[in-house]
Amino acid sequence: MKKWTLYILLIAGLFASCKKESYVFDQSPDERINAALASYEQVLQSPASGWKATITTGTGSIFNFHFRFGNDNRVFMYSDFNTSTAGTEKESSYRLKALQQPVLIFDTYSYIHLPADPDGSVNGGEDGAGLVSDFEFSIDSVYADSITLTGRYHQTHLRLEKAATDDYTAWQSGVWESTVQFENISLILEYFKRFTLGGVQYDVKIDPIARTITFLWFSGSTQRSFTTSYYFDRTDVVLVQPFTNGTTNIRRFSNISWNAGTRELRMQIDNSLVTVAGATAPVRIDVNAPRRWYNTVASTDDYWVSLYGFHVNGVDDAYKVTAIPNYAFMVFWPAFGTSGGSSYDLLGFVTQTNDGLALGFGAGYSAPDFTADGRAVFNVLGVLGDVPSVAENAFYNTASRMTDPNGYYLVQTSNTSYDMVAASNARAWISWFR
Amino acid sequence: MKQIRKILIGAVACLALAGCRKDEISGNADDIPGLGGDVWTPTQIDAWLYENYTKPYNTDVKYKWSQTELSDINRFVTPVDEAKVIPVMKCLDSVLITPYESVTNADFMRRYLPRFIMLFGSAAYDSDGTRVQGQAEGEGRILLFELNNFRIKGMPGYQPQDSVGAKRLFHIIEHEFGHTLHLNIMYPVEFKSITGSYTSNWYNYTDGEANEKGFISNYAMSGPDDDFVETLAILLVEGQTAFDNRIASITSDAGRAALQQKSDAVRNYLRNAWNIDFTTLQQQTRAAIVRYTK
Repeated sequence: MKKWTLYILLIAGLFASCKKESYVFDQSPDERINAALASYEQVLQSPASGWKATITTGTGSIFNFHFRFGNDNRVFMYSDFNTSTAGTEKESSYRLKALQQPVLIFDTYSYIHLPADPDGSVNGGEDGAGLVSDFEFSIDSVYADSITLTGRYHQTHLRLEKAATDDYTAWQSGVWESTVQFENISLILEYFKRFTLGGVQYDVKIDPIARTITFLWFSGSTQRSFTTSYYFDRTDVVLVQPFTNGTTNIRRFSNISWNAGTRELRMQIDNSLVTVAGATAPVRIDVNAPRRWYNTVASTDDYWVSLYGFHVNGVDDAYKVTAIPNYAFMVFWPAFGTSGGSSYDLLGFVTQTNDGLALGFGAGYSAPDFTADGRAVFNVLGVLGDVPSVAENAFYNTASRMTDPNGYYLVQTSNTSYDMVAASNARAWISWFR
Repeated sequence: MKQIRKILIGAVACLALAGCRKDEISGNADDIPGLGGDVWTPTQIDAWLYENYTKPYNTDVKYKWSQTELSDINRFVTPVDEAKVIPVMKCLDSVLITPYESVTNADFMRRYLPRFIMLFGSAAYDSDGTRVQGQAEGEGRILLFELNNFRIKGMPGYQPQDSVGAKRLFHIIEHEFGHTLHLNIMYPVEFKSITGSYTSNWYNYTDGEANEKGFISNYAMSGPDDDFVETLAILLVEGQTAFDNRIASITSDAGRAALQQKSDAVRNYLRNAWNIDFTTLQQQTRAAIVRYTK
């Protein structure tokens, strides 16, 4: 009898244990993902004026975009990456795809790929990484007027916001393009790019790749500098950290206009109109800089290094030193050796060989003349080593540029770096660091 | 009683098996997203590729981004610009397909042209600082990179130095197709011992240093297969005169002799294995390249 009970209990247990759970969803995962993709596509295509979007890349640069998504996998975009992408709308393709999450893929090349491109010559980033950005995004949340997404590779955050009509027309009518011309400051030929505000002269330097701006000015006889990131906001250039000097406050530049003929940039700071133009000499010449630059390395038998050679008349590496086969860097080495009883300084070219770095050839100079008005003048003594024929142009142009009879100003840019600027017209310079 | 017990145990076992049978999954599974490949509204490019590659050669040319097509998904690569797709594929037709068809028959390319050709916009960078510009996998897939810089004569903005990039692409195409050939019919094993001394550190040598050691390029030092197809590709892309000049400029007697031997081996292989007249193939390929770059 006991056994019977046991069997009955066992059978009852089997029935009970196999009771089916009801499903949480009334549709299959495939049906639900298809429905989600279809609804996202609907949302993407719905705004008549498209979407505005901002990306902060892994390197910290901020880029704005405008997207219009069509119903045929086509997307149209603008970007403030440069003046050409801000002025011309580009058509490419996109698709939504179910990966681990619903994903928006910009699947052929367009402006959104420019910061992401691993080719450093496209965006100024490092080869293999670019500016560390994405073009394939997981969709995190979708609302009628905003969509948040995360890059699948570099986790770049992208937020799309429904654009108003005038957001779109600002791109179409060239407002953004005109604002992005701010970066044409780099096209000013002179090393010193200057404007005056509140009676103070400011030299500005911009790095369009990192999107940073540096102000250099004198307070009494002390040189001061301030660096901050900037980004574009339709009509304005906005400083991430506002600049303050006494009563002068700069939060943004507006009404940007570039004059290609005179290479001058006009802009408005609050109610003041200013013009950034080239200048041929520092605001205040650092008279001791040349001697300080020289002695810093001479006292320790060290040397200054330059990677890219001279920038001349708007051309980086004008003499193409980096194109010398196996080129590594250039050095300026005070009191490198002695010849005929007197010591000489060396402008040397270092190349990579199978056995490591080699200082193969260079030009010898007598110790520079340090003029009372703060210039260093170099006098050539001769050529050392054998200059390979492929390197002749780069070498002789560089070596003779050094002997500019007007000499060079030295501008200290950090504790361990100087820029050496031609005193004649400030249109040639070379950067040294150690 | 024993019988009943057996029956009962049997019934319990049946219930245990049958009772837990799962229903078919809930809802409809007819439309699985992505099954059968991604779909999009076809464009003129899709139509052109279908007419010129899919229909005649059964080759699928993919140009839309798909991370999974990269065999190493840790690489970060950007997609190709649509404007480059048709020009690149037209060049591939006249630099690779037409010359080979002219020395074989129409079926040759139908059989051996890779089934998948993937196009990418940027190069694929490796952590050792080298860039991958093309990749052949088995005989079925060719990956072409760095096409966004591709410019040939007649394209807007073309400058003479762009011919360097265009020739690099042609070189890669011939190189990868060479792999397809020897993966189908292996080249004579003696080729591997003409110089030997292959190294994975090939990128530490310049092309000039490689020449002196009897390799036509530094990449040829990476292995016998690549040595073979590099020799083939440079013979086709640079032409016989340029190849001979390069051999003549080598100072090492051993290097010169080895390269001459390798070039003969390539020539003989194409004749013996594929019944291809190499000189005609070389002239036709070279003529097409000159048309695009000079």
